[in-house]
Amino acid sequence: MLSIKNLHASVEGKEILKGINLEIKAGEVHAIMGPNGSGKSTLSQVLAGNEAFEVTEGEVTLNGENLLELETEERAREGIFLAFQYPVEIPGVSNLQFLRTAVNAMRTHRGEPEMNAAEFMKLAKEVSKQVDLDPAFLKRGVNEGFSGGEKKRNEILQALLLQPKLAILDETDSGLDIDALKVVSDGVNALRAEDRAILMVTHYQRLLNHIVPDYVHVLAGGRIIKSGGRELALELEERGYGWLGIKEDEAAAAN
Amino acid sequence: MKPAPTLSSAFLQPAGNALPGPLLRLREQRGTALVDMPLPTRKTENWKYSSKHLKLSDELATNLPAGSATTSAAEDGYRVVFRNGVIDPQASRLPQVDGLTVQRFADLSDDEASALAERLDNTLDANATQMARLNTARFEDGLLITLKPDAVLAEPLFVVHEVTATASGSAFPRIYVDAGRHSQLTLVEEYLSSGDQPVMVDTVTEFMVADGAQVTSIRLTAEDQNVQHIGATGVRQQRSSRFESHCVGFGGPLRRHDLQLRLEGEGAECKLNGVVVTQDKQHYDNHTCIDHIAANCNSEETYRNIAADESHAVFNGRIHIHQDAQKSNADMNNKNLLLSTGAEIDTKPELEIYADDVKCAHGATIGQLDEQSLFYLVSRGISRREANVLLTMAFINELVTQIPVEQVRDSANERLNRFFDDTFEEA
Ligand SMILES: Nc1ncnc2c1ncn2[C@@H]1O[C@H](COP(=O)(O)OP(=O)(O)O)[C@@H](O)[C@H]1O
Ligand SMILES: [Mg+2]
Repeated sequence: MLSIKNLHASVEGKEILKGINLEIKAGEVHAIMGPNGSGKSTLSQVLAGNEAFEVTEGEVTLNGENLLELETEERAREGIFLAFQYPVEIPGVSNLQFLRTAVNAMRTHRGEPEMNAAEFMKLAKEVSKQVDLDPAFLKRGVNEGFSGGEKKRNEILQALLLQPKLAILDETDSGLDIDALKVVSDGVNALRAEDRAILMVTHYQRLLNHIVPDYVHVLAGGRIIKSGGRELALELEERGYGWLGIKEDEAAAAN
Repeated sequence: MKPAPTLSSAFLQPAGNALPGPLLRLREQRGTALVDMPLPTRKTENWKYSSKHLKLSDELATNLPAGSATTSAAEDGYRVVFRNGVIDPQASRLPQVDGLTVQRFADLSDDEASALAERLDNTLDANATQMARLNTARFEDGLLITLKPDAVLAEPLFVVHEVTATASGSAFPRIYVDAGRHSQLTLVEEYLSSGDQPVMVDTVTEFMVADGAQVTSIRLTAEDQNVQHIGATGVRQQRSSRFESHCVGFGGPLRRHDLQLRLEGEGAECKLNGVVVTQDKQHYDNHTCIDHIAANCNSEETYRNIAADESHAVFNGRIHIHQDAQKSNADMNNKNLLLSTGAEIDTKPELEIYADDVKCAHGATIGQLDEQSLFYLVSRGISRREANVLLTMAFINELVTQIPVEQVRDSANERLNRFFDDTFEEA
C-alpha cells in the first residue's frame, strides 16, 4: 500500500529525515517508536503533505501512485489520514460543519451524493458515542477549548467518519488517562481492516498493549535504525532507547 | 504655495423645490456656509487615507434625475424606496402602527418642517462631517420617522436606497428618526445601484433615541463600482436607551461611513458591529466615534475588515469618555484579515478618557489566514477554496449571525459568496 524509499526531508533548511525506508501492506499495523525529536512527527506531516517540510530526496508511493506529487487534499481523498499530535483549534468553524464538509468532500470525490445536515447529524452523533465524546462537542468550534484527551478523541472520530486507507496516528496516546486510552484504542481497533493500514507513531509502548502492531520500527536521528515484531516494543520498554546507542535526552539536540 | 482645493460652486446648486419653506431655507443656509469649503486632503487627519479617493468632479454636481417609478410595491414587509435620493411612494409599503408616522419631508406642514429644520444635523459633529453638511445643503427629499412614546414596530422597516447611474450625478438621501420614550424600531438601510456612470451617494441618517427606547439600525452598503458612497449616521441616546448598529459593507472606489454616537443619558448602552469586505482596488473607510457623556453607560464595538487583492480598508475608532461619565464601560475591538500581500488595512483606536472610574478595553489585530488551520482542513480532503472560505467566514461569522433580520443575513451571505468566488480560486 505505502512504500517509502530513501526519504529525506528538511525544515527551514535543516535536514530532519535522512533516508527513511518503509513498506506497509494493506491490513498491517506498523508502529514507529523513537525518542523526542527523532523525526516522527516530521515523517507524519510529510506523508500528509505539509508544505512547511521540504522533501529533498526519495520517493513515496501509495498503491503505486506518486504520493509526493499530490496536494494535501488529494492525498486525503486517496485515503491518507493523519491524526495530529497537536490538533489545531479553529474557533468560528463549528466542529459539525467541519466534519460534514470533510465527509462530503470525500463523498463527492467518490461520486457519492452529499449527506444533508440531518443525515450527517445522526451519523456524527453515533460516532461521537463510539469515541465517548459528548455530542455537545460537535457544536463547539473545531477543537476549541478541548482538553488534550478530547482533541485526541476528536481525531479518532474523524478517522472513523472518513474511513481512510492509511491512518497515521501521531502520538494519539499521549496525554490520555487509562480510560481514554481504552476508548481511543477501541476506536483504532475498529478501524483495523483487511484493506486498511495503520501507522502508529508513539513515544511509549503502552498504546501497543491495546493495539497490537504487526511491525515495530525504531526511528532515531531521522533514520529507521531497527525494525522487528512487537517484541521489539517490549524490549524498548524494558531497556529504554539506550541499548540501541541512542541517548534519549540528547536525541533532539543531536539532529 | 498652491491654494487648498475647495468645493466647486457647482455643488452648491440644490435641485427640487418640493420641500416646505423651512427646509428650503435650511438648505440654502447650509449651502452658503459651504462656499469655499476646503476639500479634505492627505493632511486632513480624518481623511488621511481617503482624500485621494474622493473625486468631486463637476459632472457629479447635479442631482441624479429622479428614477422612473416602479409599478408595484413589495408584497410583504415594510419598505420605503429612495430612488436617486427621492422617495418613490409607489414602491413603498408603510406600516400602520399606532404611534408611528412615516412622512416624506415634502409632505410636512410648515410647523413640522421648521421643528425638523431646528434639529437636522444636531446629532453630528459639524467639524468632522462636512460631507454630511453637503447633504443638508442638497437633499431633495427625506424621510421622517416618528415614534410616539411606547410605540413599537415589531417588524423591520426597510429603506432601500437605489441609484440609477445612467448619467453622472449625485443623490442625497436623508433620514431622520425620532424614537420616543420606550419606543422600539428596527431600521434596515440597503444601498444598491444600477447603471455604470460615475455617481456619488452622500447620505445622512440621524437617530434621536429617547429614554428607554430601543433602536436597531442595520446597514448594508453594496453599490456597484461606479459609486462613491459617503455616509454619516448620528445618534443621540437618552437615559436607559439601547442602540444597536449592524453595518455590513462591500468596497467600492470610495466607501466612507462616519458613525457618531452620543450617550447623553445615564444607563444608555450601544452595541456597534461592523463587517467590511474589500477586493480589487477598492477602498473602505469607517470612522466611528462614541462619546460617553453621562455616567453608567456601556458601549461595545466590534469591527472586522477583510481586504483582498490590492484593496485598502481603514478603521478609526474613537472613544471619548467625558469627565462626568463615571462608571463608563467601553469595549472596542477591531480585527483585520489580509487575504493578499498587496492589500492594506489601517486601524487606529483613539481613546480619550477624562473620568477616573471607567472600564475601557480596546484591541486591534491584523493578520492573515492561519497556515496551520488551512493545513488541518485540507488534510481532511476539504478543498483549498472551501478551507479558505471556512476560515474567512470564521472571522466574521459571529457578526453576521448577530444581524437580527434574516433577509439581510441572506443578502450579506450571498454577496460574501460572490466575494469568495472572486477571491479563492477553484482547485
Ligand atoms: N516547523 C519546524 N521548524 C523547525 N524545526 C522543526 C519543525 N518541526 C520539527 N522541527 C525539528 O525537527 C526535529 C524533529 O521533530 P519532530 O518530527 O517533531 O520529532 P518527534 O515527533 O519525533 O518528537 C526536531 O529537532 C524539531 O525541533
Ligand atoms: Mg512528535
